[in-house]
Parts: sequence; C-alpha cells; structure tokens
Amino acid sequence: MILLLKAWLRDWLRHPLQRLLTILGVVIAIAVVLAVDLANQSAQRAFDRSMLEVAGAATHQILGPAEGFDERHYRDLRWAGWRDLAPIVEGPLRLETGDSVYLLGVDPLAEAPFREAAAGFGEIPVQRLLTEPGTVLVPPAWLEARNRTGEVEVTVRGVSGIYTVSAIPAPAGAAQGQIWVADIATAQELLGRLGRLDRIDARLQRPGADAELQAALPPGLELVPVGARDAAARELAQAFRINLTAMSLLALLIAVFLIYNTQTFSVLRRQQVLGSLHLLGVGRNPVLAVVLLEALLVGLIGTGFGILLGIGLAQGLVGQVARTVSDHFFVVTVTAVEPRPLALAAVFALGLGLSVLAALAPAFEASGQRSIAASGRAALERRSHRLTGHLFLIGLLMLALGMAVAGLGWGDLIGGFVALFLLITGFLLLLPRFLASGLKWVAGPVADRLDSALTRLAGRSLERSLSRSGPAVVALTLALAAAIGVSVLVGSFRVSVTEWLGVTLTSDLYLVPAESASGRGGARLPGEWVSLLSDWPEVASVSTGTTQDVVSGRGLIRLFLLEPHADWLEHLPLVAGSDPDLDQRLQDTDAVLITEGFAAHQGLTLNDRIDITVPAGSRSFAIAGIYRDYSHPGGTVLMRSDRYHGGAAPGFHSMGLRVGAETAVEALESRLADWLRDRDAAALITRPETIQRESLEIFDRTFAITHLLRVITLGVAFVAILSALVALQMERSREYAILRSTGLLPGGVSRLVFLQAGLLGLFAAVAAIPLGLGMGWILIEVINREAFGWRMDVLLPGWPLAENLLLGIGAALLASVYPAWRLARMPVVPALRVES
Amino acid sequence: MVDRMATPASSVLECRSLGFSYDGAAGTADVLRGVDLVLVPGERVAIVGESGSGKSTLLHLAAGLETPSAGQVRLKGVDLGTLSEGERTRLRRNQIGIVFQAFHLVPTLTALENVALPLDLMGRERGRALQSRARAALAEVGLTDKADRYPEQLSGGEQQRVAIARALVHRPALILADEPTGNLDSVTGESVFRLLLEQVEATGSALLMVTHSDALAARLDRTARMVDGRLLKADVPAAADPA
Repeated sequence: MILLLKAWLRDWLRHPLQRLLTILGVVIAIAVVLAVDLANQSAQRAFDRSMLEVAGAATHQILGPAEGFDERHYRDLRWAGWRDLAPIVEGPLRLETGDSVYLLGVDPLAEAPFREAAAGFGEIPVQRLLTEPGTVLVPPAWLEARNRTGEVEVTVRGVSGIYTVSAIPAPAGAAQGQIWVADIATAQELLGRLGRLDRIDARLQRPGADAELQAALPPGLELVPVGARDAAARELAQAFRINLTAMSLLALLIAVFLIYNTQTFSVLRRQQVLGSLHLLGVGRNPVLAVVLLEALLVGLIGTGFGILLGIGLAQGLVGQVARTVSDHFFVVTVTAVEPRPLALAAVFALGLGLSVLAALAPAFEASGQRSIAASGRAALERRSHRLTGHLFLIGLLMLALGMAVAGLGWGDLIGGFVALFLLITGFLLLLPRFLASGLKWVAGPVADRLDSALTRLAGRSLERSLSRSGPAVVALTLALAAAIGVSVLVGSFRVSVTEWLGVTLTSDLYLVPAESASGRGGARLPGEWVSLLSDWPEVASVSTGTTQDVVSGRGLIRLFLLEPHADWLEHLPLVAGSDPDLDQRLQDTDAVLITEGFAAHQGLTLNDRIDITVPAGSRSFAIAGIYRDYSHPGGTVLMRSDRYHGGAAPGFHSMGLRVGAETAVEALESRLADWLRDRDAAALITRPETIQRESLEIFDRTFAITHLLRVITLGVAFVAILSALVALQMERSREYAILRSTGLLPGGVSRLVFLQAGLLGLFAAVAAIPLGLGMGWILIEVINREAFGWRMDVLLPGWPLAENLLLGIGAALLASVYPAWRLARMPVVPALRVES
Repeated sequence: MVDRMATPASSVLECRSLGFSYDGAAGTADVLRGVDLVLVPGERVAIVGESGSGKSTLLHLAAGLETPSAGQVRLKGVDLGTLSEGERTRLRRNQIGIVFQAFHLVPTLTALENVALPLDLMGRERGRALQSRARAALAEVGLTDKADRYPEQLSGGEQQRVAIARALVHRPALILADEPTGNLDSVTGESVFRLLLEQVEATGSALLMVTHSDALAARLDRTARMVDGRLLKADVPAAADPA
C-alpha cells in the first residue's frame, strides 16, 4: 500500500501547480465559511451576553411609557409585598471618544437574585457603586483593550452635560461582557432620568403571580414576559446572519466544483499509473482507497490552512458584523474573535468531507473495471455528454420545484432559501447541455461565418472537453450570478431607500437633540419649542417626531409619534388604506398607520386592531393604513402625537421646519443657530441631505460585507477557471503540439487559449444574467420580505450587469494568461510523443 | 560524412555537421553527431536505422521543431539557426509538410478541416477557395466520402491518408515522413506508401522519410543509414565504417 501511495502521490511533485490550485480552492472556501461563521457567532454571543446581562434572571419586566415612570411605583410595589423586584434605568451612553456603551443602572441591594451585573455585594467595587456617586463597573476586557489596569477616569457625555466617572474593573462574575453597570442614582443622572425608572425586573415563580402583579400595577404600567422584548431584534439579527451564511455557502459550493474538476483531472492524467497498477493485479479497493486518501490529504492541507486564514479573515469581518448589528438592533462591542473548538471541528469535518465527496466520482471511475486507462479520455467525454442529458432533466425538475416553493411561499425564510437553492442548482444542472450546444454553434456556424479555424478549434476543443469546461463554467456562472443577485438586491434596495428618504424628508431643516443618550425614550427637545418657532415669520410650518418603544398587546413595539406638516399624507408612501379622510381619522379616532415590515412581522393588515399602552393606559387602535418605510427592520407604528399624549407633547426627538416662500433656508438656519445658543437644551440643526447621506452611509456599511464576500467568491471561481485551463493545457498538449508542427505560431497558440477562456467567460457571464436576476428576485421578493417584511421594486441593474459580463470574461482571460504563456513556450517534440 | 551526390546551390534541405545532445540524468547524451545531408527538389531519400539511432531527431531538426546543438540546417538556403521561433514556424508551414507515424491529426477537426488547416494557417486562401482546395487534396487520397468524419471515426490507414493530404495540400518543397507506415498493417501500409510516393511525385516535393523497413527504403532514390547518431552513406551496410 505504501508503494501504491508513492506511485500515486509522486504526481504532486511533478505537477505542483495543479495541486496548489486544488488546495487553494479548498483554502479560500473554508476560510470564507469559517470567517463568516466566526464573525456571526462572535457577534451573536456578544448580543446574547448583552441581552442576558440586561435581562438577567428576571422572568418578567414591568414597563411603562417610553419616557420612563416614577420611581415611587417601585417603592409602592415593594411595600405591597412584591419582594423579587429590581429597578432598572438603562440606555446607551456616549463616551467622549465618540464610542457608545450600554449603561445599566441597578440597585445593588436588590440585584443579587437577578443577574451577575452587580453580583458579589461583598466585593469592594460593588459597594463603591453605592457609596461613591459617579462610579461605574466596566468590563475588564474594555480596560485591557485600552491597555489600562485598575481604576481610570472616563469622560462621558451625559444628557445634561459632560461628566467624569470613575471606571473600576468589575469583580469576577460581574459585568464581564458588554454592559457598564452603575448604581441607579448615578445612571439616572448620566441618562437624564432623575426620579424615573425605565423598567422593573420581576422574578415570578408562583403560578398566577403574573396576573396578580399585573392587577397591582398602576395605570400606564404593563407586565410583559422577558424575551418579548428582544425577540424581534434577535429574529432580525438572525435573518441578517442567515443572509451572510448563505453567501459563504455559495463559495463552498463553487469550491466543490473546483475540487471535483481537479480530482477528475488528476485521476485521468495518471492513466499510465492506473494501467500499470491494473496490469500488476492491483484490485478495485486499493485504487479507490488511494484516490480517496489523496482527496483526504488535499482536504486536510486545504482545511488546515483555510482555518488559519479564516480566523484571520474573521478578525476583519467581526467588526463589520458587530457594527451592522449595532446600527440596526442593539449596541454590541466585539473585541475579538473567539473560535470555538466545536465550530472549528465542524468546519474541519466539512472541508474533509467535501474534499472526499467531490473525489468520489473520479475515485470510482479510477477503480472501476472499465477504468479510465482502459476506456480512455474519449469514453469519459462520451459519458459526460450523455450525463448532460440526465442533468438537464434533473435540473428542469429542480427548477420547477424551486419555482413552486418560491411562488407558493412555503416555509417562510428557510423556505425562501430552499427555493433559492433549488433554483440555483436546477439552473446550474442545465448549463452543461447548453454549453455543449453553444460550443457546437461557435465551432460550426460562427466559425464558418468568421471563416476562422482558431474559432472552430477553440469551440470543438472545449466541447470535446465538457468534463473539464463544464464544471469550470458552472463555478464561474455561480460566482457571477451571486454577484448579480446581490447587485440587484442592494441596487433595488438602495434606490428604494433613497426615493423613500427623498419623499419622507419633507422639511427644509431639522432640529435634533445634541446628545442622543437615553434608554427607551431618547433625549428630547422641549415641547414648547413648537409654539415658539411656529410664530417665526421665516417658518411656514413645523412638524415633530418622536420614536419610542412602548408596550402593546404584541410586546414592546416601536411607536413613531408624529405632529406632521399639513400635507404630510401626500408624501407618505402609503401602500394600503389611502383614504381622503385618513388624516381626520388619525386625529379624531384611535387609529394608527403601520409600516409594511410591522404588518409582515405581526401578521396584521388593514382594519385589524392593536392594543397600545399610552400614558392614559392601554387602548385599542385600528390600523387605518400601511406605508412603506425602511427606518427600522422590525417595523413601526405611526400615531398622531396628540392622540398618544392626549394633548401637546411634553417633548420630542426631532423637529422639522419648512421655510416660508420668501425666506432662504440659510437665513432661517442662521437665526436658528443664534436662537439655540440661548437655550438650555442643546440641539443640532441638520439639513435633509445630511440625514439622507448618513442614512445611506449606514446602508452601505450594512451591505459592505456582502461585497467583500462577492469578491472572495469570484476569487474561488477564478481559481476554478485557471485550474480547468491548466488541466486542458496539460491534456491537450499533444493537440497544441500538432498545431504547432503544422505551422501555428506560438502567438496563435496563445490566441487559441485566450479564445477558449474568453468563450468560457462569455458563456458563464451570459448564463449568470438570468440566474443572477432570478436570485435577486428571490432575495427581494421572498427572502428579504420574509426576513424584514420590506417590499421594494425590483430594478434591473444596467451597469452591474455589464460590469459582471466584463468581470466574467476578464476573470477567465486573466486566468488564461499563465496557461497561454506556458503553452506558447511548450517544446513541441516531447508533447508530440505524449500518448493519445 | 558529406553526401556528395547533392549540390548545395539547388538544395531544398541542407544539413551540415549537425549535432544534437541533451542533458540527462547520466550526463550529456549525444543523439546526433556530425550529420551531413543534402536533398535537392523532387529527390526522395530514406533514412533507416535502429530505434534510438537518431532518425526522428534528424527529422525534427530538419522541420525546425528542435534546435541543433551543433551545425546548421538550411531550408531552401535559409539557415534555421538564424530564425526566431515564429520565423521558423512560418517557414515550416509554408515549405514543409510532415507525416507522422502516429498520424497526429487534430482530434477536434474533421478530415476535411484537418486538411484545410495548413492553408488556413498560411492565410493565403479563405472561404470557398480554401474549402475546394482541401476537398481536392482529400479526393487525391480517395477520402471524399469521409470528409466530415472525425479522426476517431477513421481507420488507421484512412487517418494516415488524411495526414498525407494535410502534408501536401499547400504543395510544400519538402515532405518529412516519420515511419508513415509504422502503425499500419502491411497491406494498408503498402497502399499508404504508394499513395505518398504518388503525391510527392505529383507535387514535385522532396521527401525525407524515416523508416525501419529496408524494403520501403529501397524504393526511394537514395537510402542513408543512421547508426548511433551518425549518418552512413546511402546503401552502405550498418556494420560499415562511417568514415
């Protein structure tokens, strides 16, 4: 067996480039899959830790209005005998450096049963929370990341000004993750919530206790189970991660084609060795074992290096994933990738498994009675041609099934991915047959019309090497289609968001609080500013908006309170419920509008009702309309501010100002700036174009990672094409030598190779267009809708299509440079001696 | 030794002091040593010798497929050693036709397309003119009805006929044939050999043929024997002193 292995594996020394390409394909694919998984998992763990630290061991939470509720309610409940309660004030806190951290204000005396955040009351650091105002416990990792040890002074931007707090490392068991912990009084001051609480955590273990506690609560407070609070964010963050994972699996699929291609080739090329082994009486199983051992070795080396590269790549990706999760869902900080042994083992098994799986067919081929050595290359190609017919039928079947799954909407998000997989695989299985016909057409009518022997040779040679050219084209098509699909999704999405921002940002200037540093309520501008500014002659109209999380019959929901301009409904992209009396209805009755995303997530439609807790208590609101909105993945409920407050709002998050016909925006901006200098509340003046730009920056940041994956996927496909061309070059060296001996110039050989590569690239690029558009359509109409509930118009991306066409041909041509160079310099006589 | 029967001034092929060696595992191996050979137009010369005596290497050097280690090869007066790879290729495709023992047809081209290939590469003729000339050449070797067959669909004899048609279609000055009947049975070999001679005669090309067969060699104008890389005088037994 050792000699057998030697006979087989010495080929590696003779053809190192081939082996290198195979291993490189595995390395890149494994690295991408692992990097995405590690980045996802690290961000997920940071998210989970944050959620755990925030929620602790509480079973329920008592929530009130977004702006918080009087802390005396907590005292009253304790006096009423509810002992397992812990008051909380929380929210993001901005550091002077611009970073945000999440601050949890707790009562250390009541905390112990709830969470580790302030566990170990006997510890001196925790006691200092109580005895020394302005003290916070920070995760030791945060200090370590800044090369600090022990207690440090940190400057933070509180709601009412700049504060310096003493940051002390949390003792073991406390604040080990993301969260900063302070005594409740310190947190109230920093977050501008003096005398108020954001929530009360409760541990209710006795059956029926929840109903009793709910009954004991004053109006405006609601008891909600823990989990309802973060379920939506968790679900959405997961959807984002599934999208990333799907992209990484595409890279893996392409790598499988690559491994299959090179393994088949490596078996085929060693016909002589195989023939000799058969002659010597080596049986079927030893040959099978040797070929599979080789594949295992490729998998072992490729996966080993892939894991190393993947960990490195993950360090780069994790920051981006965490940033996206923070942008859209919850502030998380990930300082390092933490590879889990189980995940590494899974990726290792995946790499080895796929390498062996891809080598199965060639291994059986090599060990079969009618071995390649006996049956020859031509027989293999005949079988390949026959196989294209079977694959074509299977492909049609999978396409039909995929369309049925997508069209009938079976199985939500997972169903969407199943449909996507079926459509991709089905389409790819059709390609070899189409490729064969296309190449025949090129070698026939096209070559005749061009009167070009090179074109005829290029087409015929590729068509006769379908077992080689087919997988390479499939790999490149898949990579390009993925790129087109993502382009369609991102392009359509970006245009929709841009249009939506253009439509909804109808004011000339906006005022927002200088510091956005509080919990569910957010920093607010004084309510009296509305009447003050409305009186200015330069101001034609004033609108206000406030976004806050409120309790509803469907858990905690995002509520947008609006005091709009008179013509606001003309600018609102309503998709259902358009009615001339809509504005009146929203003003006079308990009616709200909801976003498409909210409707999709909650399964609500027009005229359904939803219970929402307003300051006066819980009321039932009718859904009077549904509108398009991309501001929050979970969706939003829009309510007239006066309906919520029962009158004028005491404060708001933003104010929109429209200038009068005779006034320049700059003039109003200048007067506002002067006016704001004399106000107590700090506010910033923002133009709509600034908001639009910043929104699109967040958008681009969200999708930056998909572009990165696209490039990596294309890299794998490039290796696949290069590998196929090198294989063709080696297999057909005799043919090229004949041409050279007949008088084809070295430059002609290069042209022939370029022509073949160009044909493969062109075919892949053209085939990628329908597949890519189909993928884009499914991503938008099925997956995106299921994941986020967003609808958007599917736009045909003109430039990206052309770009991908050029990219496909370019990648193929680039991959052909080295084979063309080698073939042009190939010594003719030795190549002529190669056995046919 | 110099082949004294030819005059260099009118030669098609002229090899002077030709040597070829390569570096192998056991040191430098001399394949050809001081070979002199001249062919005039229309002349038919056979090179006979044992396997490994250097016959095929001489043919490859004559075709410009290999570069000599010593000496000169002149094709119609042009020293191949002074030419670039491209120039050698151009000269080969215009002036030489090669018939190999293993046929060496392009497997992805039909019989007709294989025959048309040299004309296409020369670029002098296109379209119908090229097609009709290739068809005529194929007809000369009696394969009109097999024009659209691929090499794998032809017998060995038929493949060699196509190779002969391909070698002669552009009417080269020199035909190099390396064991043209080596892969064929005796009956087919005889018919192919006869065809080759007819075609060479019809085109007026010179023929340099390498063969194992003394019988075939005897039917050509001259025979030279190759022994251990040295070319002996025509019709001189192998045991004779090359000097």
